[in-house]
Amino acid sequence: MGSIDAALKPRLRLRTRAEYAGWIFSILAGIGILTSVLTNPNFKWHVVGKYFFAESILRGLMLTIFLTVASMALGTLLGLALAVMRSSHVKPVSIAAGLYITLFRGTPVLVQLIFWFNISALYPDLRIGIPFTDIGMAVDTNAIMGPITAALVGLTLNEAAYMAEIIRGGFSSVGKGQIEAADSLGMSAGTRMRKVIIPQAMPSIIPATGNQVIGMFKGTSLVSVLGVAELLQSAQLIYARTYETIPLLIVASLWYLVMTLLLSYPQSKLEQKYSRATSRLPRKAKPVVLTDPEGAAR
Amino acid sequence: MSHDGTIVAQKIRKSFGPKTVLKDINLEIASGEICCIIGPSGSGKSTILRCINGLETVDSGVLKVNGEDFGYYETATAYHALPPKKLAEQRTRVGMVFQSFNLFPNMTAHENVMSGPVLVKHADKKQSAKRAHELLASVGLAGFGDYYPAQLSGGQQQRVAIARSLAMDPEIMLFDEPTSALDPEKVGEVLAVMKDLAKKGMTMVVVTHEMGFAREVADSLVFMDDGYIIERGDAREVLSNPQEPRTRSFLEKVL
Ligand SMILES: Nc1ncnc2c1ncn2[C@@H]1O[C@H](COP(=O)(O)OP(=O)(O)OP(=O)(O)O)[C@@H](O)[C@H]1O
Ligand SMILES: [Mg+2]
Repeated sequence: MGSIDAALKPRLRLRTRAEYAGWIFSILAGIGILTSVLTNPNFKWHVVGKYFFAESILRGLMLTIFLTVASMALGTLLGLALAVMRSSHVKPVSIAAGLYITLFRGTPVLVQLIFWFNISALYPDLRIGIPFTDIGMAVDTNAIMGPITAALVGLTLNEAAYMAEIIRGGFSSVGKGQIEAADSLGMSAGTRMRKVIIPQAMPSIIPATGNQVIGMFKGTSLVSVLGVAELLQSAQLIYARTYETIPLLIVASLWYLVMTLLLSYPQSKLEQKYSRATSRLPRKAKPVVLTDPEGAAR
Repeated sequence: MSHDGTIVAQKIRKSFGPKTVLKDINLEIASGEICCIIGPSGSGKSTILRCINGLETVDSGVLKVNGEDFGYYETATAYHALPPKKLAEQRTRVGMVFQSFNLFPNMTAHENVMSGPVLVKHADKKQSAKRAHELLASVGLAGFGDYYPAQLSGGQQQRVAIARSLAMDPEIMLFDEPTSALDPEKVGEVLAVMKDLAKKGMTMVVVTHEMGFAREVADSLVFMDDGYIIERGDAREVLSNPQEPRTRSFLEKVL
């Protein structure tokens, strides 16, 4: 049976008929979509090219990045505070955090954004001061709550609720023994949080936060309803003038896609960094190089 | 703070919900005494240790550790809980070694040993590092400082955990079944470190199933069952000639 040594024969994978069918279908569909996209003049690819680096689009992109970074950073900080409150032994504190999370996760962001934009209907002026006294100051709400501020407030408060749940999930992934070890050394609650719980919660918090950043990046497009000239709104402003709706939506979409791809790189780096402690290789040890038996024989 | 190293428990009671786990515990441990606690599963051995270092609070009774009321201060009418800072201070004087080691996996062995002095006592980093080196060497782990817990065997991890507790210079060390999670061939290396410690005059309370260790090292032996201390006496005497029938039947099963 055969010309080569049976022990050396390659072992071939089973290919089912479904696999061949899958290949054929995918290739045909790919070719079909691609030709349609490239040959249909209504896509107006030259318009896409013309506006891709247009100044107003780039300014919109900058604002989108700013909104993402700012509301993610503030939302994470507030989320951390909420997570700590939620795990508090003091019942009213824990319940308050729980209510916040329920409220902000349970209503649409779009509604929240419009709500904050119109907050002056509810509170025409904002008073900061001590209740039931005259001490304090008042400002006109409309003066503060412009579209960008409303966007920031809305996105931040909403994100905080999601981040709180992510962070609290990370906290509870840290074993009870870790907390007892820290306590038995006499660690304060703050030190225990910073040096023991948070570093260990990171590996489960980071990937989820990465998803949130990506979600937030695209989610900022919602604030276009407030007339904030972020990426989508900038594209809309142009096609409102030129009626080149589809090409400009493609411009915006390509930018969202590019940024999303760029964001997934640092996320994977961070994931690697935080998984170091669980790897079994000593930090200073060189990775084991397996000797190649054929090379050794030569 | 003055050296004391004593533990006094009088009429200690402790319940978890409807279940009373410690019922009328009376125990005095002298400075430098090595006391082993044995008893069947669920008899309350871990709970006693956890009360002595504040991981649990007792419901009633007197608990003095290092000569001070532990976790509370006494007034004419009641015991009032101490603020967290005071409690933490008392805890630094009692070391605890867990069955499951509980090293911080995000820190190297060296950082684990340094964690108490640096993060809790805010001691000088250089001196703490030097001390951590010495401590790791004293438990036979010189050269393992840069390893993370996940890269160490169970026996090595437990010895790091002991070094971590010792770095706080406690007067009392508590051990809750320190060798129960170890492979049989690793038990000896941990017991050797503990024997070393015993010779240095540390007060030690050890919950253990290692009767050999109790016979060889312990000054006194406590047998617990169902939340009571059934018998307490000289370790070798109790082991060879138990007075209580319950002690006798337990020892017959484990020896
Ligand atoms: N946090 C807790 N909540 C409720 N019940 C508890 C708690 N901790 C301990 N118990 C109960 O208290 C009893 C005594 O527990 P403890 O851990 O002190 O026993 P032990 O003598 O150490 O047993 P083992 O030899 O199995 O470790 C057990 O019945 C246990 O179920
Ligand atoms: Mg136990």
